[in-house]
Amino acid sequence: MSLLLDARGITKRFGGLTAVSAVDFQIERGSIVGLIGPNGAGKTTFFNMITGLYTPTEGQMIFDGEVVNGSKPSDVTKLGIGRTFQNIRLFANLSALENVLIGMHCRLHTTLLGTLLRTPSMRREEAAAKERALELLDYVGLGRQYANVTAKNLPYGDQRRLEVARALATQPKLLLLDEPTAGMNPNETALLTALIRRVRDELGLTVLLIEHDMKVVMGISERVTVLDRGVKIAEGTPHEVQTNPAVVEAYLGTGHAAKGKGGGPLIINDPNAQQASPPSA
Amino acid sequence: MPKSLKVGIWTFIGSFLFLMFYGFQSVLVAAIGALLIAIFGVLLALPLPDVVKSGLLTGIIGLVFVIAYAVERPAIALLGAMITGVSAALMASYRQHKTDLRAGAIQGALAGAVGGALTAIALFLVWLYIVPAAGVTNIAYAKLLSETIPLGASLGSDVAIIGWLSALTLLISMLLGALMGMARTVEGVRGNLLSYAILGLVVLLIPILDRQTELQLLNAFIPVFVFILLALGLNIVVGYAGLLDLGYAAFFAIGAYTTGMLSSPLHDTHWNFWLVIWIAAAVAACAGVILGAPTLPLRGDYLAIVTLGFGEIVPILFRNLGGGGPNGSLTLKLFGGQLGTADIAGFTVMDQVNLTGGVAGINPIDPPKLPGIVFGPQNQVPWFYLLVAIMMLTLFLINRLRGSRQGRAWTALREDELAADAMGINTVRTKLLAFAMGATFSGFAGAFYGAYVSAIFPTSFDFSVSIIVLCMVILGGLGNMAGVIVGGLLIMGADRLILPQTSNLIRKVVQHQQNTLDLPTYRDITQWRLLLFGMVLVLMMLVRPEGLLPNARRRAELHPDEDTAEQENATLFDAERDPQLAGH
Repeated sequence: MSLLLDARGITKRFGGLTAVSAVDFQIERGSIVGLIGPNGAGKTTFFNMITGLYTPTEGQMIFDGEVVNGSKPSDVTKLGIGRTFQNIRLFANLSALENVLIGMHCRLHTTLLGTLLRTPSMRREEAAAKERALELLDYVGLGRQYANVTAKNLPYGDQRRLEVARALATQPKLLLLDEPTAGMNPNETALLTALIRRVRDELGLTVLLIEHDMKVVMGISERVTVLDRGVKIAEGTPHEVQTNPAVVEAYLGTGHAAKGKGGGPLIINDPNAQQASPPSA
Repeated sequence: MPKSLKVGIWTFIGSFLFLMFYGFQSVLVAAIGALLIAIFGVLLALPLPDVVKSGLLTGIIGLVFVIAYAVERPAIALLGAMITGVSAALMASYRQHKTDLRAGAIQGALAGAVGGALTAIALFLVWLYIVPAAGVTNIAYAKLLSETIPLGASLGSDVAIIGWLSALTLLISMLLGALMGMARTVEGVRGNLLSYAILGLVVLLIPILDRQTELQLLNAFIPVFVFILLALGLNIVVGYAGLLDLGYAAFFAIGAYTTGMLSSPLHDTHWNFWLVIWIAAAVAACAGVILGAPTLPLRGDYLAIVTLGFGEIVPILFRNLGGGGPNGSLTLKLFGGQLGTADIAGFTVMDQVNLTGGVAGINPIDPPKLPGIVFGPQNQVPWFYLLVAIMMLTLFLINRLRGSRQGRAWTALREDELAADAMGINTVRTKLLAFAMGATFSGFAGAFYGAYVSAIFPTSFDFSVSIIVLCMVILGGLGNMAGVIVGGLLIMGADRLILPQTSNLIRKVVQHQQNTLDLPTYRDITQWRLLLFGMVLVLMMLVRPEGLLPNARRRAELHPDEDTAEQENATLFDAERDPQLAGH
C-alpha cells in the first residue's frame, strides 16, 4: 500500500505557543487511522492544517503526491480531502438535499453561461447531481425521504450523518472526521461506526478520525497516533498504543505509569476501567 | 395587557403626535385621525385569520392610492385594485401555504376581496368627504367620472358610476387574488413562473389602463420600476450571498455614466443604445469585481463600511473627472506642490480633460432608436415597455441563477463561510461573482435611466439611493424576488406616487377650507419622506424583521421554534468545548 498523506515535521506556532511540534504522520491508502490525545493536545490544529484552514509554520504536508500546505481549504477539498466538523457546521437553514448538493459544488462543471442559458448539459448535470445526492442520503442511512427537511430540524445523530453525506459528496479520497460520535447515544454511535467502516470497505476511502470515545477509536482504527502537548508520543496498532506507558501517562497523569499502576490496557469510557485500575488507597 | 390593545395605544400616541406636529392644530382633528389609524393598528394586531390580515395590510395600498389620487383621477381605484389583489393573495399564500388549487383560489379571492373592499371604501370616503372638501363641485366630479371610468358615460349619475367603480374594484381585486392564489399552489419553478406571469400581466395592463382612464401615471411609474430593478440586483448581493453592500448606487452611476459617455454630445460619440446597454452592464460588472476584490477578507459590518466608502467615492470621482474650472476639478498634487495644467513628461494632467461633465453632468443623452417607435419625453409607453422587458429579462436570469450551482454557492457562503470553503467552494470567486452579477443588473438599470431622464448628475447617485434600494430589499424580504418587488413598489410608490399627490391634495383642501378648517399653514409632506421611511423601517424591524414576503429560510432564522432553540443550545455547547474552532 502506498501513502495517501505524508506529513513531515509539521510544526504550528501561534505566537509563542507551539500547538503542534515536529509531527511526522503517515496515512496509508485505504486504512482507517485514529488520532487521539488529551484535550489541548493539538489534534484539531493538526486536522486544520491538513484541510488548509491553517498553514503549518514548518514542515511539509504531502497529499497524494502533492504538497498542500498553504493551499486554500477549497483547493484541498478539490484535491480530495473531505471533512466533517467537531461542532456540526451544516448549512442549518437549507434542506438536507441542498446541503449535499453544495458538497458536490467542486465536482460540477456548469459555468455561469451554462446556468444562464440552461444548456442541456447543465440540465443533465443537475439531474445527475440531484440523483447522486439522494443516493448519498440513502447511503449514510438518512434516507431520501428526509431530502427536503431543513438541516437544523433533523435529530442530532442524523445531522452528523448528513455531515458525512455532505463530505462524501465532495468525492474525497481521504475523509477526515472530527469527533464524529461526539454527543451521540450508544445506538447512534454504533450506527455511525458501522457507516465509517462501510465507507472504507465499499467506497475504498481512507479515513482519519479524531475521537474521544476510546471504544470507537480502538474498535475501528487500524492504526492510532497519540498526540500530547503538540508532540507525537505514540503510534501503532490500537493494542500497542493502549499498552504504551507514555500514553497512559498522558491520559492519567504523571506517575501512574512509573508506579506501575497504569500498566493495564487503557480503556476510557468503559465501566470496567475502574476495576482495571482501582484507586491506590 | 393584550397585544392588540398595546399596539392600539402606541399607534394612537404616535399618530396623534405626528398629526399635531404636522400642523393639525385642532386637537380634535388630530385625535380623530389618530383614532382611525389606531383602530387599523388594533385590527392588524388582533388574531384575525391570515387571509383577512393580508387583505387589510395590502388593502392599505389601494386605500392610500385612492385617497391620494381619486379626487383628480378616480380610475386610480382600478389600478389600486390590481396591485392590492395580487399582493394580498401573495401575502396570504406566504403566511399560510395551500397546496390544493381550489383552496388556493379561495384564499387568494378572500384576501383580494378584503383588500378590494378597503379600496372601495376609500373610494366612497373620497366621494363623500374629500371631493367636497377640496372644492370640487358634484357636477364637475360627475363629469370627471363619466369621462374617465369605462362605461361611465352610459351610467349617467355619479352615484351609479361610483357604485359601478366600487364593484369593478372589488371584482378585479378578487379575480387577480384568486388567480395569484391558484398560481401559488403550483410547486417549484413552474409555480414561480406562473406568479411572475400574473405580475407581468398586471404590469403590461398598466399603460392600457393609464391611457384609457387618463391616469397619466407612467412617468411616475418608470422611476419606481428602475428602483425595483436595482433592488433585484442588490438582492443577489445582500439577499443571496449575504454581503451587506451600502454603496450599491455606485454601480448604478457607472451604468448611467457609461451610457452617457458613449451616446451623448459630450464626447460626440453616439453609439446605439442597444449596444451601449450591454457595454454598461459589462462595465458595471467589471467595476463590481474591482470594487469587490478589496472587500474579500471582510465580513459583516466591516464590509458594509468599505462598500459605503465606494458608494461615496464613485459619484465624487465622476464629478471630479469633469475637467477644470469652477465645475469641480481633479487637482493633482505632488509633494504639496500643485501640478496644475502643466504637461509632465508628455502626460496631460487630468484636470484638463472633461470626461464626465463634472457638476453639470451629461445632458442630453441619446434615446434608444427603433424603427417606427419614438422614444421621447412625450411618449412614455415605449419607455415603459422597454423597462418591463429589461425587468422580465432580469427576473428570468436571476430565477435561473438562484437554483443553480452558483446560486447554491452563494447560499452556502451566506450560511457559513468556513463550511462553504471546506466543501470546496472557492469563496473568492463566489463573492466576486455575486458582486459582478449584482452590478450587472444595476448596469442595465443605469443605462436605461440615463437614456430615459436624458440628463445625469453626480448627485443623482448619492448615498440615499443606496439606502433606499437597501430598504426596499429589507422591507420586502431579503432573498425573495417577489418580496423585493413588493417592497420596491411600496417604498418607491410612496415616494414618487403617493407623497407628491397627497401633498397636492392637502394643498387643495387647505386652500379651499382656509376659513373653516384650522389648518393654518400648508406643509409639504414630501419633505417628510425620509422620516416616514425611517419610521416604517424601525417598525418593520421590530414587528416583522424578515420582511413582508419573507424567504422561508430567513423566516426560520428569525423565528426559531423550540426545536431550533434546542439545536442552537447544543451547537453553543459544542462551540464552548472547542474554543479553537469556535473562534472561526
